[in-house]
Amino acid sequence: MVNGSRNIDDHVGELLSGYVDGELTQQQRQLVSLHCENCDECSEILARLRELRQSVGKAHLSELGEDKWRESMNDNTVKTTRQIGWLIFIAGLLAVGGIGIVGFLFSDEIEIGMKLIIIAVYGGLATLFFSVLRQRLIERKTDKYKDVEI
Amino acid sequence: MNNQDMRNQLVQLGNGAHALALQMLGNTDDATDAVQDAFVKVLNKPDAYDANTGPLAPWFLRVVRNHCIDMIRRRRPENAETLEPSDPGPGPEDSLEGAQRDQLLKRSLAKLSVEQRQIIVLRDYMDLSYAEIADVLEIAGGTVMSRLHRARMALKEELSNHG
Repeated sequence: MVNGSRNIDDHVGELLSGYVDGELTQQQRQLVSLHCENCDECSEILARLRELRQSVGKAHLSELGEDKWRESMNDNTVKTTRQIGWLIFIAGLLAVGGIGIVGFLFSDEIEIGMKLIIIAVYGGLATLFFSVLRQRLIERKTDKYKDVEI
Repeated sequence: MNNQDMRNQLVQLGNGAHALALQMLGNTDDATDAVQDAFVKVLNKPDAYDANTGPLAPWFLRVVRNHCIDMIRRRRPENAETLEPSDPGPGPEDSLEGAQRDQLLKRSLAKLSVEQRQIIVLRDYMDLSYAEIADVLEIAGGTVMSRLHRARMALKEELSNHG
């Protein structure tokens, strides 16, 4: 800020910006007005600052528009609810699977040899499944052409 | 403020926030990510904004700005101050003269420091008051006028060099 003892003949500098923005006190506004009446240099700067403010205000510094932001906000809501849904589903599946496995392992009706065979079959299938799944996930992440529509 | 009111206000702030982020990050995609991340952050914790402390705009812009600062810290420092030339231009409905004026302005803005770009966008593009600008930039209110004036004079100089 500028102190009140500024002489009217001194260039008003930053007060010109404050004047353009309507951020000056009554006293400061009068000082700038009177100074610019007699100072061509400051008067010219004042005119240029006004033009500058107008051209920045009208410029297209961002092109995305409100629809894009509304859409992205909805996308985020959908994404979050979908993630919560998947989380609940997987938790339920794990709980059911866990109960089944514990029931199978501690069952007296199935012999130990049979249990080992069943474990080997399902264990092998699970290993194959996770191996293929892993490969597919890596491919999906690194595939440059995944968004190309044919 | 209810959730829908907040959403509506945030949508209106999107472009201004994007312009601010673009001046800080120099890349349209990063700027879009920054604004979207700020939306998620704010909408997940809407209570973090207290309407009694002032309008939503400066508060939200501070969130965006802080997020941009985090993004700049995470990436290589040499990318922080350069604006990408492929910044999208105006749509076909704009006049050629207007498009040229915009391009000249963007090129001149790109020559300024990040601080100068920010303060010009906040005042001249977003029309924030000096008090709000001080709030967003976390600087003393009394320094806004002098910083803004220096930034405008630098932009004026760049525009006359380019023009």
